[in-house]
Amino acid sequence: MLLTSSSPLYFFLMSLRSMFVLSPLDFLHKLRVQLCRPAAAEAGWLPVTQSVRHGSKAVTRHRKPIHILKQKLLAVTKYVPPTPVVPKGAYPFERQEVKEESGFVLLLKRELKKLFQDYKMVAVAQNCNSNAEDMRILKHRLHRHGIAVKFFPNQVMCSFLSDSVYSNMAPLFIGPTVLFVSKEPKVKEMLTSLRSSPQMTLLGACIDNTLLSAQGVVSYSKLPSVSVVQGELVSGLTMMTAHTASMLLRHPAHLSALLQQYVKQQSSEEAPKAEEAT
Amino acid sequence: MAASSKSAVVLKAVKKIAVQFCPFESNVRSTREFLLFVGSEKARSTNMNCEVITTVKHDKSEPVVDVTFVDGERLLMKGAKLTTREMLSAFQSRCTAKDPQAKAGVKK
Repeated sequence: MLLTSSSPLYFFLMSLRSMFVLSPLDFLHKLRVQLCRPAAAEAGWLPVTQSVRHGSKAVTRHRKPIHILKQKLLAVTKYVPPTPVVPKGAYPFERQEVKEESGFVLLLKRELKKLFQDYKMVAVAQNCNSNAEDMRILKHRLHRHGIAVKFFPNQVMCSFLSDSVYSNMAPLFIGPTVLFVSKEPKVKEMLTSLRSSPQMTLLGACIDNTLLSAQGVVSYSKLPSVSVVQGELVSGLTMMTAHTASMLLRHPAHLSALLQQYVKQQSSEEAPKAEEAT
Repeated sequence: MAASSKSAVVLKAVKKIAVQFCPFESNVRSTREFLLFVGSEKARSTNMNCEVITTVKHDKSEPVVDVTFVDGERLLMKGAKLTTREMLSAFQSRCTAKDPQAKAGVKK
């Protein structure tokens, strides 16, 4: 019969051994290691369970108390960084950091390019505090006149503007800014809608590729329409010719009487002049 | 940002705040940020009667913040060379100086 670990003879020999020889299992018992022998369980096979050092964790939620000696050691050997000779921010960075622009930034820039090409009027306003409700109402009011409300991050906006023609608009974009864009320059409607919302401050606008300040926008809104101005110009130019035409249409007797009067006046003016000369 | 979150702006003793600046100048940042803090919901909710008037000019003038208090005192801040923190601290110190006096007087 083979001497296997499950045979009763094996157990007898082991027990004898444990009586006389310090079994290596003793120190394991101190660490509370338990070895379940499969033969000990009469019914079936039990898994081997090992539990090692239960009750104290290394990573705790509170600050784990450190021995005072270890504390002192850590305090003494703490890393102290060298103080810089020049304080930070005194001199600007020599090398300029060139960051590659992410895909999202490129997309935004393309959108901005399209925006400036398609829309004639691009107005910039700053909003101190507006709730979603106020924004919704404002958007609705402006949408009725065909004005869209756009938001872009300031950094992307500034980098785009510095490359493009509209570089002078760059200082406008500080803080929370909103863009009002429309294909037709509908300034009056925009001003009326902005007047109703007190927290929006109009900073400037770029209408027909011309940069205007807030006052410029107001004066632009007061301008009459193009057709009216054209009509005024035409009437001013043709005033003289129209006057002449109307005079010629009158009766010739009237014209001859006017000419005679004119000649008399001329002669009367020349006579006193001749007297003065002599 | 830290300065504003630590102590919110209390406008109880303020009657009117008039801010004027020229947005095309480069020295306007602090004034604009001051306007944001003062015009925010939190600050406005402390005193609904306080008016915040913004004037946008284009004459290369300096940015100016003119604060009129309830007791008639006026605080004029020229924001061209000031930082936002300095402006806020000056403004808040004066506000709190005036405010607890009124509160303490009422309690007593």
